[in-house]
Amino acid sequence: MQSDNPKYNSGYNNGLLFVALSAILVAVFVGSLFTGTVKIPVSEIARILAGAEASRPEWGVIIRDIRLPRALTALLAGTGLSVSGLLMQTVFRNPLAGPYVLGISAGASLGVAAVVMGFSFINSSAGLSIPGNWSMVIAAWTGSGLVLMLILLVSFRVRDIMTILILGIMFGSATGALVNVMQYFSTESMLKSFMIWTMGSLGGVTSSQLRIMVPAVAGGLLLSLASIKLLNAMLLGENYARSLGMNITMARIMVFFSTSLLAGTITAFCGPIAFIGIAVPHLSRMLFRNADHSVLMPATILTGGIVMLGSDIIAQLPGLESSLPINSVTALLGIPVVIWIVIRNQKLTGIF
Amino acid sequence: MDDRDQILRTENISIGFRGKRESAGVIYDNISVSAGKSELVALFGPNGIGKSTLLRSLVKLLSPLSGDIFLFNKNIKTLSGNEMARKVGFVSTETVYVNNLKVIDLVSLGRYPYTNWMGRLLPTDMEKVEDAINMVGIPALKNKYINQLSDGERQRTMIARTLAQDTEIIVLDEPTAFLDLPNKYEVIHLLHTLAVERKRTIVFSTHDLNIAIQEADKIWLMLPGGIYQGSPEDLILEGSFSKMFEKTKLLFSTGKGEFRIQRKPRGCIGLRGPKTEVRWTRNALERMGYGVGDHNEQEIMITLKTTGVKEHGK
Repeated sequence: MQSDNPKYNSGYNNGLLFVALSAILVAVFVGSLFTGTVKIPVSEIARILAGAEASRPEWGVIIRDIRLPRALTALLAGTGLSVSGLLMQTVFRNPLAGPYVLGISAGASLGVAAVVMGFSFINSSAGLSIPGNWSMVIAAWTGSGLVLMLILLVSFRVRDIMTILILGIMFGSATGALVNVMQYFSTESMLKSFMIWTMGSLGGVTSSQLRIMVPAVAGGLLLSLASIKLLNAMLLGENYARSLGMNITMARIMVFFSTSLLAGTITAFCGPIAFIGIAVPHLSRMLFRNADHSVLMPATILTGGIVMLGSDIIAQLPGLESSLPINSVTALLGIPVVIWIVIRNQKLTGIF
Repeated sequence: MDDRDQILRTENISIGFRGKRESAGVIYDNISVSAGKSELVALFGPNGIGKSTLLRSLVKLLSPLSGDIFLFNKNIKTLSGNEMARKVGFVSTETVYVNNLKVIDLVSLGRYPYTNWMGRLLPTDMEKVEDAINMVGIPALKNKYINQLSDGERQRTMIARTLAQDTEIIVLDEPTAFLDLPNKYEVIHLLHTLAVERKRTIVFSTHDLNIAIQEADKIWLMLPGGIYQGSPEDLILEGSFSKMFEKTKLLFSTGKGEFRIQRKPRGCIGLRGPKTEVRWTRNALERMGYGVGDHNEQEIMITLKTTGVKEHGK
């Protein structure tokens, strides 16, 4: 009689989908190791991954020091941004919310702008053009951390979630304006370094930086997984969540903290990557037709990884000398999804 | 004090909002009402008098500006969020619009105060959820998405959620708003059944006085002059309902337990005949502005006779 039990049935279908998504994720991960300007035979890649020496030493270096970190970065960025997008969409009950609605990326860009265009008046700006540079990472992290502090302060005092959303957007715009001022007074080369940072890059993260990025993103993901129950209650709106015994302030703080940890870290290492965070949660909702976060969260993690690795493969399509800016690829892939969501749901309330 | 009054009790509370904003201040004060075990209480009063504010104070979504609220003789100030959630379930006027949310998942959220940090549902939780869904009569809908439901079905789902929450007290803010007449009756009757069969104490606000008078054990009548509580019958006989519309064009007919629009009669007409026919002829005459007297002293007399009216549909 198992077919009569819908819980069992949908669990079974979900299981199949999860297996399929995991398989695709592994496939795109491996696929991304093959992608790049240098052609390396499959057998060689297998040997390098198994730990053996490649027949040409530079192939080993390319795989181990360039492509593997890049693929890992894409995986982390994709899962982290998508999960923080999911968190924000649920907390703000707004389908167009994303990881950056709190002003996290604006804070990060302010930090980076300060380093690139401010302090470089004193120091030489050599080497600053590469995203992933430590000083940029720290600056971006500090910037987004400051924005987080502001948001947390506000959420202790303000009850209405829409007010917090509007304040987040305003903080973002204000920091954006400050960045504009800095841009206006900076030299051409500094401006270019900064512009390149804003285009996003998955390739700049080194193995030693991954040692920081992996635990930070993993911590954010664990916190998000621990918020599943809170998020489900928040679906009903704050009054219902509170009547179910949820401490709304603590719940918000937990969610805001994990969002900032995820989005802040990823922005610090990769630059602001657009649209993944908004589009991927909707893709997983479409696939699973479920609002339960214990399904949506793992679904978003898998889908986010797949989409980001896929975008990175597209960005490095063979025939191009250097890879396209990742931000353009994710925007071109993500915008149709967002447009589709808006058109499909004529009624914008209750869009997810 | 009656033992039944110990479930829910307010002592001289004043309700409203704190702060310096325009909306801040006392909305209504000196509220002392109570509800007993297995009692269905209807909160009735004009728009804007503070019914929602009172209900939200009862479930601790707002705290009263002064005075105390007791649940089972415990001051709710001393109860944690989780303790409150195990004692009181709440259905607000907000409509939950969430795509892809199934009825069964929404009802399962009622188990929130009992599940672990992961929100994992144990078999006993699932039993309560199934029971709640059956109790409100929507077992066929449990795998439907809530956005596919009619307003009546949605309201039943929300009620099922509070049942799954397994609280002795259920507070509902206008559960019959937006519903058509049969659904209004059915939802209130469902609440009545829950109060009787499941021994729940249920407080709901409504504007449907006719239904409330028929089904509620007790009415809290919130009027500009003060709050009255009592059985519907007592309140009618004491004339409390008539006070509600003193300044309006409505007139409460104590004999019929319903409101009528007050009109200046153009004249008076006497009416005689079979009871049902008189009732509806009177309705038509009153609408046209004539008063209707029962006696023979009127200038104009109408005598109704049944002339073998065709019966339809039988």
